Amino acid sequence: MAQFGQYTAPVYRRQRIVRARPSLKHLAHLKRLLPYAFTYRSWIILGITGILASRLCEAQVPMFMRSAIDSLALGDPDILLPVMGILGVVLVRSVISIFSSRLLRRVAIATSYDIRKRYFSHVQTMGSAFFNQFGTGDVMARSSGDIAMVRSVVAYGWVQVLTFAFSILVGLCYMLFLSPKLTLLVLIPTPLVAYLGITMSRRLFPLVREQRQAMDDVTSFTSENLNGIRTVQAMAQEKQEIERFEDISTRYASLIYRTAKYRAKMNLVMPFVTISSTLIILGYGGQQVLTGQIGVGTFVAFFAYMHMVTGPIGSLGGWLSSFTSAAAATQRLFEVLDYQPEIQSNPVAHAPTKMIGEIAFKHFTYRYPGAGEDVVSDISLSIAAGEVVAFLGRIGCGKSTVLKSLVRFNDPQPGTLFIDNVDIRGYPLEQLRSQIALIPQDPFLFSLSIRDNLTYDNPERDQPPIDTAAQLAELVEAIEEFPDGMGTIVGERGITLSGGQKQRATLARGLIRDAAVLAMDDCFSSVDTRTEERILRRLKSIRKGRTTLLISHRVSTARHADRIFVMDRGRIVESGNHAELMAHNGYYANLEAVQSNQDQDRKRKAALLRDLDIEVEVVSG
Amino acid sequence: MNDPAIKESGKPQRDYSAFDAQLTHQALNVSMFMRLFGWLKPYKFTLTIAIILTLAAAAVGVLQPVVTGRVVIDTILLPDPKSEELPDFGMGELVYGVSSLTGASPLLSAVFVYAFLVLSTALARYAHRLLLSRSTLQALRDLRSELFRKLETKPMSFYDHVSVGRVMTRLTNDVEALIELLTGVLVLAGEFVPFFLALYLMWAISPALTGITILFLPVVAVATSYFRRVLGDTYRNVRNAVSNINQYMQENLIGMEVVQLSGREDLNAEQFGERNLAHRDYQIHAMNLETVYNAFNNSLIGLATALIIWYGGGQVIQDEISLGSVVVFTQLIGMMIGPVQAVGAQFNTLFRAMASGERIFQAIDWDESTKEPADPIPLPDSIHGELEFRDVSFGYYMGNEVLHDVSFKVKAGEKLAIVGPTGSGKSTLIKLLARFYDFDDGNVFLDDVDVNHVASADLRQRIGIVLQDFHIFSGTVMDNITLNNPLITEETAREAARMVNADRFIRELPEGFETYLSERGQNLSQGQRQLLAFARVLAVDPEILVLDEATASIDTATELVIQEALHRIMQGRTSIVIAHRLQTIQECDTILVLHHGKVREYGTHDELIALQGIYYTLHELQFQDSRIAAELSGEMLDDKVLAEVAASDEDDELQDEEEPGIDTDSDQFQ
Ligand SMILES: Nc1ncnc2c1ncn2[C@@H]1O[C@H](COP(=O)(O)OP(=O)(O)OP(=O)(O)O)[C@@H](O)[C@H]1O
Ligand SMILES: Nc1ncnc2c1ncn2[C@@H]1O[C@H](COP(=O)(O)OP(=O)(O)OP(=O)(O)O)[C@@H](O)[C@H]1O
Ligand SMILES: [Mg+2]
Ligand SMILES: [Mg+2]
Repeated sequence: MAQFGQYTAPVYRRQRIVRARPSLKHLAHLKRLLPYAFTYRSWIILGITGILASRLCEAQVPMFMRSAIDSLALGDPDILLPVMGILGVVLVRSVISIFSSRLLRRVAIATSYDIRKRYFSHVQTMGSAFFNQFGTGDVMARSSGDIAMVRSVVAYGWVQVLTFAFSILVGLCYMLFLSPKLTLLVLIPTPLVAYLGITMSRRLFPLVREQRQAMDDVTSFTSENLNGIRTVQAMAQEKQEIERFEDISTRYASLIYRTAKYRAKMNLVMPFVTISSTLIILGYGGQQVLTGQIGVGTFVAFFAYMHMVTGPIGSLGGWLSSFTSAAAATQRLFEVLDYQPEIQSNPVAHAPTKMIGEIAFKHFTYRYPGAGEDVVSDISLSIAAGEVVAFLGRIGCGKSTVLKSLVRFNDPQPGTLFIDNVDIRGYPLEQLRSQIALIPQDPFLFSLSIRDNLTYDNPERDQPPIDTAAQLAELVEAIEEFPDGMGTIVGERGITLSGGQKQRATLARGLIRDAAVLAMDDCFSSVDTRTEERILRRLKSIRKGRTTLLISHRVSTARHADRIFVMDRGRIVESGNHAELMAHNGYYANLEAVQSNQDQDRKRKAALLRDLDIEVEVVSG
Repeated sequence: MNDPAIKESGKPQRDYSAFDAQLTHQALNVSMFMRLFGWLKPYKFTLTIAIILTLAAAAVGVLQPVVTGRVVIDTILLPDPKSEELPDFGMGELVYGVSSLTGASPLLSAVFVYAFLVLSTALARYAHRLLLSRSTLQALRDLRSELFRKLETKPMSFYDHVSVGRVMTRLTNDVEALIELLTGVLVLAGEFVPFFLALYLMWAISPALTGITILFLPVVAVATSYFRRVLGDTYRNVRNAVSNINQYMQENLIGMEVVQLSGREDLNAEQFGERNLAHRDYQIHAMNLETVYNAFNNSLIGLATALIIWYGGGQVIQDEISLGSVVVFTQLIGMMIGPVQAVGAQFNTLFRAMASGERIFQAIDWDESTKEPADPIPLPDSIHGELEFRDVSFGYYMGNEVLHDVSFKVKAGEKLAIVGPTGSGKSTLIKLLARFYDFDDGNVFLDDVDVNHVASADLRQRIGIVLQDFHIFSGTVMDNITLNNPLITEETAREAARMVNADRFIRELPEGFETYLSERGQNLSQGQRQLLAFARVLAVDPEILVLDEATASIDTATELVIQEALHRIMQGRTSIVIAHRLQTIQECDTILVLHHGKVREYGTHDELIALQGIYYTLHELQFQDSRIAAELSGEMLDDKVLAEVAASDEDDELQDEEEPGIDTDSDQFQ
């Protein structure tokens, strides 16, 4: 059990992206924001001018106070002018600052809008390698947290730096004007203040970073846990998951405390350093008043100007740390924005716009990024337009990998995959994906109504094709039983449907597109045989002359195909039609025997297992 | 059960939209705050010390300008006879005491005293911050854990309707907002203490001037409450816009494959754009208001200073008060207005925290939970495993029954197969057995104990279910099998993997059992994922085993290996197997056919074949047809066969209703 206040190592194991330690060098990342801000340069210039003007106004107030106090001290009261002066200056300043800060903050809002827009569009072009690396939660966190962070720096950060610098300058000028000697004395401790501010905030960086990571731990743990809540509850693991959560959240709370403690320490140290300036004014300035070198008004005004100068220097550390945070956020954002889509659409000019559906694999090989071995190796086969082919093979042999390469979810090497004799890479991506309907193996539905799910590719579809697709996928009866029929909203990922209903809805969503090539990735695994038969029979008559690819583990499904390919370890080991494969008496024939023979022919079983080099001794009865 | 809202089939439909909404529009919710402070109770000792320190820091802080104004200016720089009559809160005495004690000049002594005051303020403030954040962070940690505990044990019906994203927001963003409030704004609120002290000092020095000075207070109050109202609404809009953006993005990310397959990128970018734009416009609106409010806020000190100099100056001329007092006033006014400004600048945090607090407590209070018996009957250490469903009826929605009067019995150690067309309610049966949903129509017994009288965790520990809808967690392969259950050793996990033949592919993974799986196991094939889900159930060695389509995505050869292992495991263990592939259920003793939520057939394989009913049809389709097809020498089923099968469809018992007319000539698919 983690204890509050103990800064243990992370208790939650997850994939972490390792980055360089944050440092001042990171600030360079902020440069990346310039092009975005540059669009609004005239607003920025105007805004800054306004802000500086308002600062200048503000700097007048102590001067008016000085003249008022001095006149009072000298017994020659003239306070009306200073009072009117202060009022005037304050009013002017307010008006200017309203407009100028509106301009600048508008720039910030607009910039974050632009970035978010680009971010979303960019992420939509990403493929599986990207999502394997980043994960949904991470991509989300960047879009919400990091963009907000960037915005706050664009909005206040650098404007504040500018105004701070300007304040210091103006404050110094006034101080020098009032009393050069006192000014120099007052400035003695400032280098120390600046130095301390910078070094202390640099030590803050790693603390903040660790705290942030602990926050990410909390987020990813809850996300994983809640997404798998059914599994957790079914396995009766709630109690233990709650304990894990408590550990993770205690660690996070401790880390916040640690940064809070450090910040408090910074706040404690600063007064010890800055106080000397105040004491100098009080002691030395007081002396000068006593000797008549300066007036009481000057003495009071000096305090005000000193705050104008040392205030910003003291908070140097503060804005430095917010700048580095923003720099880190920028870095994280551009990690995504710079990620080149794995799949580039570079259509060649002569790519036909209408597909016939002739598919050819030529020495097709695929290896997942980062993997050590090819998952599919050297596949050569051609599928004529209108043919129905089936792929069969044990789990993980690469069937889905082959099908996914048809829509370039897995990008094939150039010159290895052709459709209608044109390299698949030569088609515009959207054409490829609209004319090849892939029904993914893992059924996914959006938490929308059934109708919106079916018409996901084109919400403006008429009713007839929707009905036809629903009928084809044997969904009509089920839909009629739902409380709102087609309008029934399904839960997240379609959770409120039965396994087979989800699969058939996914199927219908693909069928509705009436594509030249239909690729069904094991999409009858949760459907009973009878329903499956009916769907396949209808499909067959309806898709005459068009290419269909299907994956299945059932011989009863595969035998519908004109040609069947048996895959093993990424290679095609048998091919032919049902009769040929039966005659070949290999894996397929054994499979057929085992699947269709209730009596469990032992020899066949053993042969099937031997084919897949599974230890035969486990087969006993 | 006479309430018309409650149909016999289930509970009244809940309004889950409440869970998404932005709750009340109350800007200041006092009862929410009271509840929040309730969480601070365990840390009240620390908190009390923190508050005492705040008071101390404030008191010492307020005295600083008194030293400069009243002592230095009035008695040292410009000795003023009036000064004698005005209070200096002992500072004069202190300075002169130090002076006579050390022999230093009064000015130098004042410098000392001043330094002392500044440094002790800093120290007190430091300690106060530490203690405050310590206690609030612990309190919020407790609150977060409580919230998680509540959410973790919510029933399935809850998660069927509420998106995980929304639930997560409460656990993360909403608690963060409270942390921000308690550690940030409360620190500021602590600085309100000087407000009252400053007021007291000012009153003591000059009631008249104080009266003039606080003239601005009503103005501030009116302005603040006005801005609070308009800004409150605007911030609510901004927050809604943010959650719209996040929700849209989240679902898109999860379904990105489908988005890309459907070519929806442009449309989605457009829809996202609308949300993004709405967010931007609300932000600009909020910003426009804020800039005005900030300008107003920032002018306060200037205006008050002008007021003090004008009126105070007049009084100095009339010798009513000393010049130093005026200076003290100009500095104290900053202390008074400072906190007001700071809180004003933190409006957003305040509103956000308030809304968040409401949402958190709403989630904690959400009364939907698995009905746990008041005093659960503990299951004996080892159970026989006899199961009985007695007249169970159940529906997910009102008036939409999925199961009708289901009754059947599984003897201890027996294997039951459940078959039936998709959507017939097989998984639902299992979910009731595991008490995922509450039902009160009918009973389920385990060894003659009504499962509704058993604690759900106890029950689920005995029943191992391979869910049809399993989840692979991001984490290592090993973590996915053990699920971090300390009772499962690595050896057990490896053994379980071996039983389902998963070790074969695991060995080939780059780092074997330590290979990291990404979200939902995306870097495995579907069958491999299912094997892991299978292995994790075998690893806990449950007393009752339930397999819901556990081998649907698994090839026959691997399934043979699994069946081999199951043959051993299921010996003498009650098991329920759901499968569409009849080959999977060959080993079962009895078969139950579920159709439209009703038990239609029940008996041994031979009995059901003899019955020539649904099971027979399914069986024929899977085994016989394949032979017909083989006879047809691999030809695609031609029209003759089609007609044959269609004919068999007609007198098929499955045909409850007219088959929906399907227009196979529909030009849609030509
Ligand atoms: N995104 C990925 N990154 C890395 N490896 C992957 C990825 N997807 C799949 N693999 C691996 O590639 C191999 C082939 O996977 P594929 O999904 O093509 O199998 P499959 O034949 O469809 O199996 P199944 O019948 O189980 O669906 C498997 O060993 C799998 O672990
Ligand atoms: N969480 C839920 N909320 C509402 N309705 C549901 C929910 N889960 C299932 N249903 C509905 O209840 C009926 C039975 O579903 P169930 O999952 O029990 O079917 P099944 O027999 O397991 O089917 P399959 O073989 O396709 O998995 C279906 O019509 C389904 O749409
Ligand atoms: Mg696959
Ligand atoms: Mg099911």
